[in-house]
Amino acid sequence: MNVFAKAMNAAASGMNAQGFRMRVISENVANTDTPGYQSKQISFENTYDRAADINKVEVGRMTLDLSPLQRSYDPAHPLADESGYVEMSNVNMVSEMADSREAGRSYEANLATFNQARTMYSSLLDLLKR
Amino acid sequence: MDINAFNAAKTYGAARQSLRPELTGDKPSSSGSGDAFNAAAKAVKEMGAAVAQGEQAASQMMVGKADPHSVVEALASAELAVETAVTLRNKVVEAYQELIRMPV
Repeated sequence: MNVFAKAMNAAASGMNAQGFRMRVISENVANTDTPGYQSKQISFENTYDRAADINKVEVGRMTLDLSPLQRSYDPAHPLADESGYVEMSNVNMVSEMADSREAGRSYEANLATFNQARTMYSSLLDLLKR
Repeated sequence: MDINAFNAAKTYGAARQSLRPELTGDKPSSSGSGDAFNAAAKAVKEMGAAVAQGEQAASQMMVGKADPHSVVEALASAELAVETAVTLRNKVVEAYQELIRMPV
């Protein structure tokens, strides 16, 4: 495996990780109105792929956001407690949107490195074509 | 490196054999045509492996088992491997024709 193939492999692992991040963000956003839902957070880990001899990124442990759930006053809700409050999810829409924007930008960056590695190899081959 | 026509035919036969590793038992150097030929045979083998990997990834993708990034990565690698092999082949053919055209 040459250096450019390794670069493309690493970039693909980055794109995959950002895709996973986007999936978790979508799950959180989809469950904004679910009572009792705790938003999920992921972390990334560096992992060494021994077979391919590259450092890839991998999705690490998924954790639950333990901040207090949002309480809203809705006595007509079937899940309301005796004082009329319902515990909704603790998804923070603003941070989720910011996170999804960042995932998109990181994906673009990985796509750019992938494309750059491919272009570099192609232009190296062009030397032989004359 | 000797360049007579008989040797070219011999090398061609050896190249055909090296493309079918089940016949030679993964040993392309039986003709003894030098390091350049071995390197070329190795490159061809790598290309074959990359293309096979790309095909496998594509078929995994069709049945929904592979993620699209690894498919794109495998197919891009296969494309570059084929491009490399074709470029090298063109270069070798060009060199051969150069020798053929040489006035003796």
